[in-house]
Amino acid sequence: MSPAGCPHVNGFKVDNWKQNLRLIYQCFVWSGSAETRKRKAKSCICHMCGTHLNRLHSCLYCVFFACFAKKHIHEHAKSKRHNLAIDLLYGGIYCFMCQDYIYDKEMEQIAKEEQRKAWKMQGTATQNTTHDKPPSELNPNGIGEKYSTWEPTKKELELLRHNPKRRRITSNCTIGLRGLINLGNTCFMNCIVQALTHTPLLRDFFLSDRHKCEMQSNSCLVCEMSQLFQEFYSGHRSPHVPFRLLHLVWTHARHLAGYEQQDAHEFLIAALDVLHRHCKDDNGKKANNPNHCNCIIDQIFTGGLQSDVTCQVCHGVSTTIDPFWDISLDLPGSSTPFWPLSPGGEVSVLNGESHSTGATTLMDCLRRFTRPEHLGSSAKIKCSGCHSYQESTKQLTMKKLPIVACFHLKRFEHSAKLRRKITTYVSFPLELDMTPFMASSKESRMNGQYQQTVDPFNNDNKYSLFAVVNHQGTLESGHYTTFIRQHKDQWFKCDDAIITKASIKDVLDSEGYLLFYHKQFLEYE
Amino acid sequence: MNKEARLKATINQKLTETGERERLKELLRAKLTECGWKDQMKAQCKEVIKEKGLEHVTVEDLVVEITPKGRALVPDSVKKELLQRIRAFLTQHAS
Repeated sequence: MSPAGCPHVNGFKVDNWKQNLRLIYQCFVWSGSAETRKRKAKSCICHMCGTHLNRLHSCLYCVFFACFAKKHIHEHAKSKRHNLAIDLLYGGIYCFMCQDYIYDKEMEQIAKEEQRKAWKMQGTATQNTTHDKPPSELNPNGIGEKYSTWEPTKKELELLRHNPKRRRITSNCTIGLRGLINLGNTCFMNCIVQALTHTPLLRDFFLSDRHKCEMQSNSCLVCEMSQLFQEFYSGHRSPHVPFRLLHLVWTHARHLAGYEQQDAHEFLIAALDVLHRHCKDDNGKKANNPNHCNCIIDQIFTGGLQSDVTCQVCHGVSTTIDPFWDISLDLPGSSTPFWPLSPGGEVSVLNGESHSTGATTLMDCLRRFTRPEHLGSSAKIKCSGCHSYQESTKQLTMKKLPIVACFHLKRFEHSAKLRRKITTYVSFPLELDMTPFMASSKESRMNGQYQQTVDPFNNDNKYSLFAVVNHQGTLESGHYTTFIRQHKDQWFKCDDAIITKASIKDVLDSEGYLLFYHKQFLEYE
Repeated sequence: MNKEARLKATINQKLTETGERERLKELLRAKLTECGWKDQMKAQCKEVIKEKGLEHVTVEDLVVEITPKGRALVPDSVKKELLQRIRAFLTQHAS
C-alpha cells in the first residue's frame, strides 16, 4: 500500500477516462437514479458464476463483472491483461500488478463527487416510491447528506493563512470562564448558567452547532443558549450581560419573572423544561412519548426513578418508573425527622462510614432517600393482589442514572408555620459511587447479599463533582454563587461578574445547595 | 443456479431497484457505529496493521482477518432490526 500511488493507472488515464470512470460510478457503484438502479440490479452479477455477492468488481477496461472472493475477476485480469478493476460495493480501485487497492488522487476526487451526487439523488428519488415509513434515524426524505471528513478548501486554506492567530487550549488556559452581570437579583439565573456552560456534553453539543432551529419566532431558548456558549468561549474576558436570556426566561417561565430573588433550583428545572420543549421541535421526528424524547437535555439530564410499593399483607410489589432531572434530598434539622434512616433503625456500614457521629454526608441523605418507608395506616393503598386497602411500604431507588446528576439539598423550608433556611452542613465528596442506590443493588440485597462490596471494575455508576451552587444569607435576602471545575482539578468561584480561583478545600467546605455530578465513564448503550 | 440462489437474486434485484438496499445499508451503518462495533473493528484493524507492518499490509490481509470477527460481533439486536426491515419490505412488495 504505497502512499505514492500506483504507476499502472497511467495506462488507464487516456482519452476520455474521467468521463468513463464517472459513468462506471454512476451506473454500477453508486446508482442514484431509478433507471441506473434498475440497470445495476439487472446487470451486476458475476459473468462467470452469476452471483451478486462475493465482492463484485467491474473491469475498468471492458464491460466485465466478476466476483473477487472466487477470484473470477483475477482470472479475467490475467487473461485479458486488464490490470484495473473497481469494487462495486465501495468504489475502491484495485490494481492487479500492485496486488492491492490503490489511491489515486484524481480518481478519489471523482469517486467522492459521484458518491455525493448519488446520495443527493437518493434523497429526492425516494419520494416517488411506495416506501412510506422511512427509518426514524435518517432524514425523512431519504438518506440525507453523506458524512465526509472535513478537508479545507483552497479558499479556507487562504483564510487560515491570512489569519495566523490560533487559540490553543493548554492545560491551564481559562477559556470558557466568563463573569455575568447581575441585572437586579438575577444571581439565581447566573449561578445556573455557570453550571450549564461548564457541563462538558452540553458545551460540546452547542459548540459543534448541533442545534438546528425550526422555531419561527425569535424566542427559542436553545438558540439563546447556543449564543451564550459562543459568548463564553469567545475568549472575551469582560463580563457578559445576559439580558436576552433573562427576557426569554421571563417570556417562557412567567412564574420567575420580576426583579425579586428567585430560587436557583426552580430556575434550573424551568430552564431545563423550556430547553427540552424547544429542543423537541428540531428533532425532525416528533417524539411520540413526551417522556422519551431524544433531545440533548434528555440525553444528559434525564434519569429514571423507580418507586416500589410493597403490600404488607401479600407482599406484592407495584413498581413505577418516573423520569427525573434532579434528586431533592431532605436534610436533618427540617421538620421531618432525618434519623433513623429506616424503620427499626438498622445501622448500615457503607464505604467504611457509620452514621452515628460526625457531620451528615451526601451518602446519608441518599440512604435516607432510598430507605423503605412505612406509609402508615392513614395512607393505605389499594392492593391489586389483596383487592382491598392495605398498609404498605414504599421505597425509591435509581433505575437509570443520568449522565449529569443534580442533587438538590432542600435548605428552604416552606411549611405552614415556618419559612426558614436550614444551614446544616452536609459534606459531599469529589467522587461518588451511586451503586448502593441502584434498583439492581436493592434486588441483590433482597436476595440475601447484604454486604455490598463495591466492584472496582464496574464503572457505570461513578460520578465526579463538577459544579456546586451555594446560597449565602437568609430566605429573605440571599445571594447565589457557583464553584465550577475546569480541566481535571482546577476550581473557580463564579460570583456574578467576579471570577476567582478556588481551592478544592473551598469547594468541599462550602454549604452546598445544588451539587452537579458528571458520569466518569461514558459507554455505548 | 438453484431455486434458492434465484430467489436471493430476485430479492437483491428488488432491493437495489427501489433504493431500499442503500437505505438499509445506511441504517446498518448507523446502528453499528452506535453500538461500538465500528470502533471495535477499527481497533482490530490497527492490530493487524501492527502485526503485518504498515508498509506491507494489504487490504486483503485486513479483509481475511477482520471478516470473521466482524460477522461474529454484530449484536443480535441489530440483526433482528435489519431482518424486520427486510421482512417488512418483502411483505410490501410481494408479487
